[in-house]
Amino acid sequence: MASVSMTVNGKAVTGDVEPRTLLVQFLRENLRLTGTHVGCDTSQCGACIIHIDGIAAKACTTLALQCEGAKITTIEGLAEPGGKLHPMQEAFREHHGLQCGYCTPGMIMSALDIVRRNGNNLDEHTIRDQLDGNICRCTGYHNIVKAIEAGAKAMAK
Amino acid sequence: MSATGIGAPVRRKEDFRFITGQGQYTDDVTRPGETRAVFVRSPHAHAKIKSIDVSAARKMPGVIDVLTGAQLATDKIGNLICGWMIHSKDGSPMKMAAHPALAATKVNCVGDAVAVVIAETIAQGKDAAEKVKVDYEVLPAVVDPAKAQAKGAPQIHPDIENNTIYQWHLGEKKDVDAAFAAAKHVTKLDIVNNRLVPNAMEPRAALADYDAGTDNLTLWNTSQNPHVARLVISAFIGMAPEHKLRVIAPDVGGGFGSKIFIYPEEVVCLWASRKVKRPVKWTSDRSEAFLTDAHGRDHVTHAEMALDANGKILALRAKTIANLGAYMSTFSSSVPTYLYATLLSGQYNIPSIYCEVDAVYTNTAPVDAYRGAGRPEATFVVERLVEVAARQMGIDPADLRRRNFITAFPHQTPVIMAYDAGDYNASLKKAMEIADVKGFAKRKREAARRGKLRGLGYSTYIEACGIAPSQAVGSLGAGVGLWESAEVRVNPTGSVEVLTGSHAHGQGHETTFAQLVSERLGIPFENVSIVHGDTDKVQFGMGTYGSRSGAVGMSAIVKALDKIEIKAKKVAAFMLEAAEGDIEFKDGKFTVAGTDKSAAFGDVALNAYIAHKFTGAELEPGLKETSFYDPTNFTFPAGCHICELDVDIETGRVDIVNWTAVDDFGTIINPMIVEGQVHGGIAQGVGQALMEGAFYDAAGQLVTGSMMDYTMPRAHDLPSFHVGLTETKAPSNPLGMKGCGEAGAIASPAAVINAITDAIGTEHIAMPATANAVWAALQKSQAPKAA
Amino acid sequence: MAMTMTGEVQLPASREVVFAKLNDPEVLKACIPGCETLVMSSPTEFQAVAVTKIGPVKARFKGNVHLTDLDPPNGYKISGEGDGGVAGFAKGGATVTLVEKDGGTLLTYNVEAQIGGKLAQLGQRLVNGAAKKTADDFFKNFAAAMNPPA
Ligand code: FES
Ligand code: FES
Repeated sequence: MASVSMTVNGKAVTGDVEPRTLLVQFLRENLRLTGTHVGCDTSQCGACIIHIDGIAAKACTTLALQCEGAKITTIEGLAEPGGKLHPMQEAFREHHGLQCGYCTPGMIMSALDIVRRNGNNLDEHTIRDQLDGNICRCTGYHNIVKAIEAGAKAMAK
Repeated sequence: MSATGIGAPVRRKEDFRFITGQGQYTDDVTRPGETRAVFVRSPHAHAKIKSIDVSAARKMPGVIDVLTGAQLATDKIGNLICGWMIHSKDGSPMKMAAHPALAATKVNCVGDAVAVVIAETIAQGKDAAEKVKVDYEVLPAVVDPAKAQAKGAPQIHPDIENNTIYQWHLGEKKDVDAAFAAAKHVTKLDIVNNRLVPNAMEPRAALADYDAGTDNLTLWNTSQNPHVARLVISAFIGMAPEHKLRVIAPDVGGGFGSKIFIYPEEVVCLWASRKVKRPVKWTSDRSEAFLTDAHGRDHVTHAEMALDANGKILALRAKTIANLGAYMSTFSSSVPTYLYATLLSGQYNIPSIYCEVDAVYTNTAPVDAYRGAGRPEATFVVERLVEVAARQMGIDPADLRRRNFITAFPHQTPVIMAYDAGDYNASLKKAMEIADVKGFAKRKREAARRGKLRGLGYSTYIEACGIAPSQAVGSLGAGVGLWESAEVRVNPTGSVEVLTGSHAHGQGHETTFAQLVSERLGIPFENVSIVHGDTDKVQFGMGTYGSRSGAVGMSAIVKALDKIEIKAKKVAAFMLEAAEGDIEFKDGKFTVAGTDKSAAFGDVALNAYIAHKFTGAELEPGLKETSFYDPTNFTFPAGCHICELDVDIETGRVDIVNWTAVDDFGTIINPMIVEGQVHGGIAQGVGQALMEGAFYDAAGQLVTGSMMDYTMPRAHDLPSFHVGLTETKAPSNPLGMKGCGEAGAIASPAAVINAITDAIGTEHIAMPATANAVWAALQKSQAPKAA
Repeated sequence: MAMTMTGEVQLPASREVVFAKLNDPEVLKACIPGCETLVMSSPTEFQAVAVTKIGPVKARFKGNVHLTDLDPPNGYKISGEGDGGVAGFAKGGATVTLVEKDGGTLLTYNVEAQIGGKLAQLGQRLVNGAAKKTADDFFKNFAAAMNPPA
């Protein structure tokens, strides 16, 4: 066991982990932040995507110990403290970008990274292309793409 | 239409918790003192277990217990079962082999569980699982359904000769043979409906908690039908009496059929929890899911269609071998029989049909219902035959379809089903307009200039949904009735809870069911909540699959609401001092006919509970009604999908450039949700057609065992879809709904393959039509080649 | 996942010497990539432990190795099966033939191998490459073992 400290959704946290403990396990089991999901064990699905220092990463492929001192944002940290949803969250609801909701946290975190990389005016091609690391089995992506396009625009306001 | 009533695209109630990361899926639930189960699984497809040594594993840190199949047998935990009896042609019952939750003497597929480690943490459990020593005597395996019945093929289960579960048939062979003998044209096809892995994004999970104080067991699991799970685990597996077992299916991350079934792991967790007297949780990792979730499809079929000189279909015959895997999963026997052969008439007037189905065991994962279940296989057979026949006869494929459409209803097919309503010309016409079929030739020429071969493929599908009239399915072998239940509880303040036996795992019932209640009772949408997925809260129900929750589940709610109205009118009559017969109910208000005397719904609800206006002898207090609705017929959603795609001449890569879907689902409660269901279904069907395929090597190793090798559609593999609707009401249920959950997956594979073969000029191409396969086919076809 | 592989290597020693080394546990231990222990239980049977990594799966295999069809100095068949625990199993064999050539010995091998369990599920696309590399490494090591005096 080793001790690890990081900032998660603005809060300083410390925990004891094994060297092999994955970030996603640390978030889900130690911190009980269960919004970050695990959909695979080969780093293919993106259900586990979070932000490390503002950049999207797969929490299933990151060791907790690698994140010493890092600033982590998870889906639970997106809405304003008062409860006002982030425009990207709002867009997913407005455009029916989710069905079972399992891929959704990863999709939203990934969408924000697409905006970070490409700005607020996204076309369908860019979104589909850059959503390559996320799998959704429910929606056929149609409404996810619409939601990301709209969410990106709304973020500019 | 009100902003939240029937037909409105209301935004979903359930979304807030999902987009904020507050969904509660099974793995998110924890219990104090929780332990973790890690299964030891067979690496061999077929082997005798000579011995299992758990002594080293027991000594590992954090290990609480290590349990094996021998102990399971000692504790008399029953086998898993298949609940649908199919009889062979000769009248003999299907041959169901024993399926213990932990194999004790023999393993029959890779991933078969032989032992379970119960440990404090997953990591400790995994470490200990490494130490379980299993001595196997490896046996030869058979994985190909077409080879399973051969002489000399490995025998998988004792006493089940030729690995044959049943040899079933439907229809009149004599009539069909006569029609073929007289036919002007016969089209023949050999078709493999490729094996698929459902891959709901949430892996299966189970958390069992035994309370020694009350002797009660609680199971949280990823189930589409928690009551059925409780019934089977109680009555057949003998885990606990039904009233001592509570099953909770909380938020479930997609199912597509694969979470209907009762699986070994949940049985083992329950058993282990009682043994170690602590909660036991198991969460599948994706690698386990690939090996142990029930797979879908896996049919090998020879099919023929007979036509007259004018392209009128005279008869259809098919012989199918269905792979059911190593064990018979919960509903596996019904999928290649009554959910398949009964749909071989498609949208067409086909005078005679004969279908034979042999179901076989192989050393592969069990196969059961996956989105569409039997109906995609039927649609693929019919729509491929029609397409190829049209091309062979030089008739336009749309035209050949039109010549054969059923236009008069009700229509009795030769394969059990009685279609009650539909307008197949309307959906074909509308789809052809949206897809601009007229402009296709021009687009094809343009594509050719870019080095692409453009193709267009139709699929005019039909399905039988609203599963299902209990008496009918009972006569066909079902072990259960397929009605649905609802309880409507009106609270004293006028808010409403609906307890439904349906279960949502992405379908948005919390929204659509509330829309129905809000409209029917004239109360705000926000004042309605839908409760599902907990056997302690909800009366017995059958769950969600087979596109049944609208047509059957909502019909039960309608019936309960009717009863609520009757009772509420009685209460209102006392309140308004009028005769019960004079009370009218509209827009949430009770009025005395011809007067301005009225009472709001909320006041009536309160009065029902305070009961100051009537005595218990006159009227019982309270406002709560239950209904069990049993449908009188299946429903028959149908429609037309048109796929337009480009094949790259150099690489064989397929790009879908345009997808049109026009479906007739009867009454629509929420078009936004319906469209979402269509999109998702198309994506899975396109996945089947272009990239998905579960392959075992000859030794029974699954070589497409991860998302690296089993490719599912990603965003850039798909276009946006054009979705349209036509509507004929289903006459068999009060709302006129037909169901929409499976249509996309049923329709789309045939549309894709019809389009590819149209583009490259071959008769057939096997699924999945990967770039490699299309390229290889191109080399053999007459189509232009790369320079 | 079954696979087959053939290859040959020219060795600067007589067939007798090569054959003797092919039966020498010390030489085999030094040549098998990742071999940690190799214990002879009879002149034609030994137990080995080797660490192998195929793609994402790394496992310590414990296995029994048998020598059959001994035909000194023309060759033999070496076969074995290894149990990698939850990683799965690997089994297979190689027919080894020795012929005199250019004053030395031409060793030809014909490998047939099969893997199962997690190894096959996750590593199958990589297994041919990994097996080829293992064989190449073995014979490279083996050729090197010819040089120092035995
Ligand atoms: S869990 Fe699938 S990529 Fe992380
Ligand atoms: S919404 Fe279910 S996986 Fe995307």
